[in-house]
Amino acid sequence: MMEHKNSQRTRTVNNLSASYVAEESKLIDLAKGGDRKALAQLVKNYEQTIYNFAFKICRHRDKAENITQETFYSMVKNINQFDNKSKLSTWLYRIVANHCLMLARKEKNRQFVSIDNDDSLYDEKYIADYSRLPTKYTENKELKKILDDAISKLSPDYRMIFLLRDVEGLSTEETAEASELSISAVKSRLHRARAFLRNEITRAFER
Amino acid sequence: MKEKVSCKEVMRYVCECMAQDISSERCIALKEHLESCEHCKQYFKSVELTIDCYRKYNVELPENAHKKLMNFLNLPDE
Ligand SMILES: [Zn+2]
Repeated sequence: MMEHKNSQRTRTVNNLSASYVAEESKLIDLAKGGDRKALAQLVKNYEQTIYNFAFKICRHRDKAENITQETFYSMVKNINQFDNKSKLSTWLYRIVANHCLMLARKEKNRQFVSIDNDDSLYDEKYIADYSRLPTKYTENKELKKILDDAISKLSPDYRMIFLLRDVEGLSTEETAEASELSISAVKSRLHRARAFLRNEITRAFER
Repeated sequence: MKEKVSCKEVMRYVCECMAQDISSERCIALKEHLESCEHCKQYFKSVELTIDCYRKYNVELPENAHKKLMNFLNLPDE
């Protein structure tokens, strides 16, 4: 059901037309040859996506800005190592994900909820009235705070998978590639992260 | 003889069944349960809504941050 919805979603980065792909591979070739203008164009094509993703992981604008800089610095430095076998977007997601995880590991004082043992996630008491769950209040400050608080409780490893797969719309295979995890690890983390976030948000709206 | 499943089992496993369109006996039983159980239907609706909220919550790179980025990378910004 959810997968079906995912496949129908239109994404700017993931649903690339053939001409865009050809254009991009031309840019990548030029960039590999040291063309600064081509590099600049690649940065412009992806800066919004990368910044938005970094924000979604760390929920902090200044940190997201720094991570964006680090990500594109890595891209410029390592563009020759990009092998054209994967999509440039997947490669960039892997770089930005790594920078986000590195930053999270530095912030050792943060405490996250453990959902490795997933039994309590599926407690039947959480099948409750969800009619107050927001559907069209995404500009609402209170809702944003609830969304920030809920996802901030998840450890960045889980956050990452949920965001790559469900929010950015990567395929399971691309998510595995970007996160350097196995497909089965991606799936089990994804299901637990979904259930956890859903429970948190439902509870917040029951108050 | 059909396998009976609980709501809890549906909550736990139905994502996988849906994702892979598995035709195993358990998945068929789960899907049948989902069809006829209002609670489980609502549960999945709420998971979808949760995902949707996070999908719609986006931020835009400020113009000055773009300039800083190009400057930091020493790239031309025509
Ligand atoms: Zn049920």
